Amino acid sequence: MNSKLLAMIPLAVALCAVIGCDKKSDTIKIGQAVALTGDNSTWGQSEKNALDMEIAKINAKGGVMGKQIQLISYDTRADATEGVNVTKRLVSDGVCAIIGPGQSGVAIAMTSVTEPANVSFLATSATNPKVTVDDKTGSVRKTAFRTCFIDPFQGTVAAQFAAKNLKLKNAAIIYDVGSDYSSWLGKYFTTEFEKQGCKVVASEAFRSGELDFRAILGKIKGSNPDVLYIPTMQKEAALIMKQAADLGIKAIPMGGDGWASPDLITLGGKAVDGSYFVNITSLEDPDIQGFIKDYRAKFNNDPIMPNPVMAIDALDVIIDAITKTGGTDPAKLTAQIAQTKNLPTLSGNFTIDPTNHNPLNKPAVIQQVKDGKFVYVTKFVTQ
Amino acid sequence: MFVQTLLTGLAIGGIYALMAVGYSLVFSILNFSNFAYGSIIMLGAYISYFSMVKLGLPIGVALALSILGAALLCYLNERLAYAPLRKRRASSLFFMISAMGTAIFLENLVYAIVGAHFYAFPEVFTKRNITFHGVSIGVLDVFAIAFSFAAIYALHYFLQKSRTGIAIRAASYDIQVCSLNGVNDKHLIGLVFCLAGGLAGISGTFLGMKYIVYPTMGWITNKAYIAAVIGGLGSLPGAVVGGILLGVTETFVSAYVSSVVRDVFSFSLLVLLLMVMPTGLFGRFLEEKV
Repeated sequence: MNSKLLAMIPLAVALCAVIGCDKKSDTIKIGQAVALTGDNSTWGQSEKNALDMEIAKINAKGGVMGKQIQLISYDTRADATEGVNVTKRLVSDGVCAIIGPGQSGVAIAMTSVTEPANVSFLATSATNPKVTVDDKTGSVRKTAFRTCFIDPFQGTVAAQFAAKNLKLKNAAIIYDVGSDYSSWLGKYFTTEFEKQGCKVVASEAFRSGELDFRAILGKIKGSNPDVLYIPTMQKEAALIMKQAADLGIKAIPMGGDGWASPDLITLGGKAVDGSYFVNITSLEDPDIQGFIKDYRAKFNNDPIMPNPVMAIDALDVIIDAITKTGGTDPAKLTAQIAQTKNLPTLSGNFTIDPTNHNPLNKPAVIQQVKDGKFVYVTKFVTQ
Repeated sequence: MFVQTLLTGLAIGGIYALMAVGYSLVFSILNFSNFAYGSIIMLGAYISYFSMVKLGLPIGVALALSILGAALLCYLNERLAYAPLRKRRASSLFFMISAMGTAIFLENLVYAIVGAHFYAFPEVFTKRNITFHGVSIGVLDVFAIAFSFAAIYALHYFLQKSRTGIAIRAASYDIQVCSLNGVNDKHLIGLVFCLAGGLAGISGTFLGMKYIVYPTMGWITNKAYIAAVIGGLGSLPGAVVGGILLGVTETFVSAYVSSVVRDVFSFSLLVLLLMVMPTGLFGRFLEEKV
């Protein structure tokens, strides 16, 4: 009985989706799975704001193919279980595609719903390779896409930037063993840094929720690194840099896009000054100035990068697919999204690599913390 | 590296010790673990943060306000949550459940009123550090250790020498006999909670300065509770020794083995110790407590 019921869920879900989207309604329903509360809500809220603003603009101009777009946003709290629930709700609401989530763990969990239902999602800042490619079978997940670049790239950029531009030779890495994001960034940094002929002199792990890093920092201090790679979220990164300064560690701290919150500066104070991090995009990116002007005018503050831009890229990709297929059938959209090529989106020309559903040649931004501000340093392009 | 690790361990252990004393103080009188204590510490941190940042008060005043505020909160916690239970002679299990409820209530109250935002104290002297022969320690750590021990010593002195202190010690053996001898047990218990609350204000302020202020920061007191158990719940010197022991052990495990197995290690140590010494290092059942 139970197993029969379970087996029927995907079927029912798929049916709902088809009915929901094929119904001759005046709106196009696009879902959003986003962390609106919890540690990741800073980005989630901003992401939703940006989409609301952009969709209002599109609707004011007459919508897409004469239909208005309706955004249905549900809170995932950046939690995998909640992400699955949210996705089930979105699918049964009849959305044609989903924007988000921002977290790799949530995205991977969501595929258990989107794959059988054949409804695509475009993750905004989920950078783990496993989101779009199933590492057990090595095959690409049909409904999983993303508009940001992947972990290997972020670690690779950081390692290349440290080795080539900053001419640093010895790296120490501190990563969160409880986070896929953090561990993968650390791994790919190590691989690339060693490929550049440099050395990783220390690699230390900690458990999520840790507050005191002085024990491992004391150990790292003994190995004399000149770069301290901290691929964690802003809270841990700020605490690590503060405590490293307390212990008199002089290495230049570097990180990934998890740092990109003003919290890094309020929590880290002077200790974070001079540190570098790789980001998907930046407020100073010349290509997105129009969007930022509108956002500031509407919400009276800056968008929290990069999620708003990545979410609008995703919206652009979905709208393009709807226009090209001439409808909102989720299965047809899925096939069309996989073929997206040279589409002008907010952050630049966008192409999906059909072999792994990642964007091709997505540029990365290097930013630095200088006098309590994020400063744009340079732009890297994927190879 | 050895000296550096030891110093770091002492700094962490000092904070554990301060919080563990608060746990032990309450346990010694009422024989239950006041799990709401972590939330009082968290509120203490918020009080001193907002006094310093929003009201622009100097650190000394903020610390004093935090001590007073946390003491008041701890007292109210006792009056509102525990006193009615005590009147009905409830078993200590219900006190513990009530304490956990209070902890969750306070935490969510902060979420609802202040929000989940992380706050960091302004860098008064949090940034400065002393380096000697390649070994560094933050000025704040030195100050926190010194101040914590001064507070613990003052408390110890008060318990040993003053009339009220003697009454508290007497109550820790048998509160009923103590009240039969003319001690107002209601006032006494209130005072004990105020003292524990004062310590919570101190630890909250230092914890917030050292790390960050956020609603779930009180959970770090789990470690302090473990420290109190290692030292023997209800024993003041035990709480201090337990705190330092736990802090130093953890730091050495993190530095020489791996910080990932740190908790595995420290909690195994706890289980092992309790197997050999069920009442902890200094706990003697119904004997010397405070």
